[in-house]
Amino acid sequence: MEIDNAKEKDLQKKLRRESFKRNWKLFSQSKLGMIGLGIVSLFLILALLQPFLFLTGIWSESIYHPVVGYDQIIEEKLVVECPKEYPTPKYETSFDCPAEGEVQKKMLYLAQGVEVGDMYDVYLQPAPPSSKHILGTDSLGRDVFSQIMEGSQVAFVLGLLSATLGVGISTILGTIAAFFGGRIDAYLMRQSDLVLMLPTLPLLFIISAFAELKIWHLAVVLGVLGGLGGSVITIKSQALQVKVKPFVDSARITGGSQRKIMFSHVLPNVAPLALLFMVFSVTGAIASESVLSFLGLLNIDMSWGLMIYLSQTDGFIFSGLEYWWLILPAGLSVTFLAGGFYLVGRGLDDVFNPRLRKR
Amino acid sequence: MVEYIIRRTLQMIVVFFIFLVSSYLLFNAIPGNAFSNLLLNPNLPPDAYQKVLETYGLDKPLGERVQLYVVNFFKGDFGYSYKYFPKTPIELIAERLPRTLMLFSVVNIVAFYTGFFIGKILAWRRGSKSETWITITSVFSYTVFYPWFALMMLWFFGYKMGWFPIGKFLYPEKWYDAPFDSDVIFSMMIKFTLVVSLLQFFAYTATRGIEALSSRRNIRFASLIAIFIGSYFYWNTGEALARKPYAADIAYHMILPVMVVTIVAFAGTALLTRTTMMEVLKEDYILTARAKGISQKRIRDRHAARTALLPVVTSFIFTIVTIIDGSVLTEQIFSWPGMGQLLLQAVLEEDIPVAMAAFSFVGVFALIAHLIADISYSYLDPRIRVKSQG
Repeated sequence: MEIDNAKEKDLQKKLRRESFKRNWKLFSQSKLGMIGLGIVSLFLILALLQPFLFLTGIWSESIYHPVVGYDQIIEEKLVVECPKEYPTPKYETSFDCPAEGEVQKKMLYLAQGVEVGDMYDVYLQPAPPSSKHILGTDSLGRDVFSQIMEGSQVAFVLGLLSATLGVGISTILGTIAAFFGGRIDAYLMRQSDLVLMLPTLPLLFIISAFAELKIWHLAVVLGVLGGLGGSVITIKSQALQVKVKPFVDSARITGGSQRKIMFSHVLPNVAPLALLFMVFSVTGAIASESVLSFLGLLNIDMSWGLMIYLSQTDGFIFSGLEYWWLILPAGLSVTFLAGGFYLVGRGLDDVFNPRLRKR
Repeated sequence: MVEYIIRRTLQMIVVFFIFLVSSYLLFNAIPGNAFSNLLLNPNLPPDAYQKVLETYGLDKPLGERVQLYVVNFFKGDFGYSYKYFPKTPIELIAERLPRTLMLFSVVNIVAFYTGFFIGKILAWRRGSKSETWITITSVFSYTVFYPWFALMMLWFFGYKMGWFPIGKFLYPEKWYDAPFDSDVIFSMMIKFTLVVSLLQFFAYTATRGIEALSSRRNIRFASLIAIFIGSYFYWNTGEALARKPYAADIAYHMILPVMVVTIVAFAGTALLTRTTMMEVLKEDYILTARAKGISQKRIRDRHAARTALLPVVTSFIFTIVTIIDGSVLTEQIFSWPGMGQLLLQAVLEEDIPVAMAAFSFVGVFALIAHLIADISYSYLDPRIRVKSQG
């Protein structure tokens, strides 16, 4: 008997390994899925690289720490005096003076004994990208690249936790509602009505007003709200379509138990839509976090949203692309990570949904 | 069916009651109240704060206040705003709502049609190169970080190029001696948009039955031109002529927000349509239709797209519900003084009557939309009939 058990376990292991191989093959055939996986793993590497760099001492915490680090970038500039009238041979309009690599004498009234034509050391904050700081520093002299890494840690924790929680809740509830119908359905639908009636963003403001939100709390709040809300209804509508399919009827006729039918026939067919929602909610979670830290309502030290908020309050966002390293990396990171998750979901779609596979 | 609707309505009333009580309690859970800042003023006599609280009834115990609020709510009395005192929440909402509705109804309609159209084509052209590229573009336009994107667009089109105004919904100097306020124009524009889109919809459904493709297309084109000519005459005669420059001013301010929100919003519909449509295309009845020799376009539009519409319509109806919710950010960025800003201010300043009225407005909207979504299931997919279920 025991030998049989061991054999069975071995067989199960083998089957699992084979199905994993098969699924991986299917997944790797989808071009979009592979692009997405590439993007997500790039950010994952970024997120994991930062603690590694700190632990091994390649990066010193006092310089590269995303929140309290500080570094002075010094640039030598030529001291000049701007002319009173334009155009002069050197400057065409008053906007051209001081030119790049030059500093006005007027600005240096605190420095004693500086004459026109001298070289003067200027502290650059924010400093443009250099070999030391790949993406430059922000207006407080902190390394932007390190901030991006910290932000991706926040995004992964928050996005994955809340999306898994939310989609788990809504898929199970949606399938139960569709499958059992009647009173259970009515109760679940009214419950999601109740959650849907509350406007999300103002609700998050209220919650953050009486509870100091950390990443974990926010992830749970977003997950539960997303899981009980509209996605239950959409997943139910999908499950209703599955429920009336012939294979469910045949499973019932051959004597499948309620639980068996629900979990092995209805649920796998609802999974693609649930996956789609999972990606949607990763995006939503990252966006909500960014919006909340944008408004200063979160108890988070550093995140992509906070970086955009800082560049906006410091007035850099309307300075165009002159300070691009403060504006583009954070915004593009949010976009690309969320998009990467979406593309992975698309690739998984091909694996889990046999009816969607290539003709 | 009638029995079902009656039962749903009863359930809706219960849900609404729970919603009302719980959101009132939520607002009261915020520390402090709308008048806490009076305490910071050293010139006020000490009992002034207490007097103000008594005037607004905030000194009563919480249970009594909830009871009073709910009873008065169902009597149709929503109280007075704490911040804009003589005004009632209804007045404030009536002032702000048309602005939000105008902006977001245009956005949603445009985004839904483009999204559905693109999604349909994406599913149909599965595996081609254009599909990959359109999908990647729509994925990134869907997942773009919205406030950031809006600010960048605002910088580019409003500041750098100077094509569109930055923020606000009108130029105050143009309205200095306008004989009417902006809400008149807004409600007029909403009516106009509604009539035009209804006419277009009727023209579309009336021509559905015409079999020949070319004559159907011609008739639809002719109806479109007729609508254009009609609206041209409408704006150049009588009352509308005097209001035209003001309406044009508002429309000019609307272009940038509409463009930005549409770019972000269309992709969600497109991707959802693609997924559902692809599942439908594997169904047996599509194979049957192919075997019958029906043209490809007809299979796509009549057989597949109609069934694929089901989840898309559900999500569209919930997009309509989230108009006011979603408008919070957009209105904040484009400084568009609509419902979203009202709601946000009311929540932040703890102006409870206004916030409650705005919340319950959104809530009623959501409840009705959900009912409509459920009923529309049975029309779009005849296999799912509303029977005894909830």
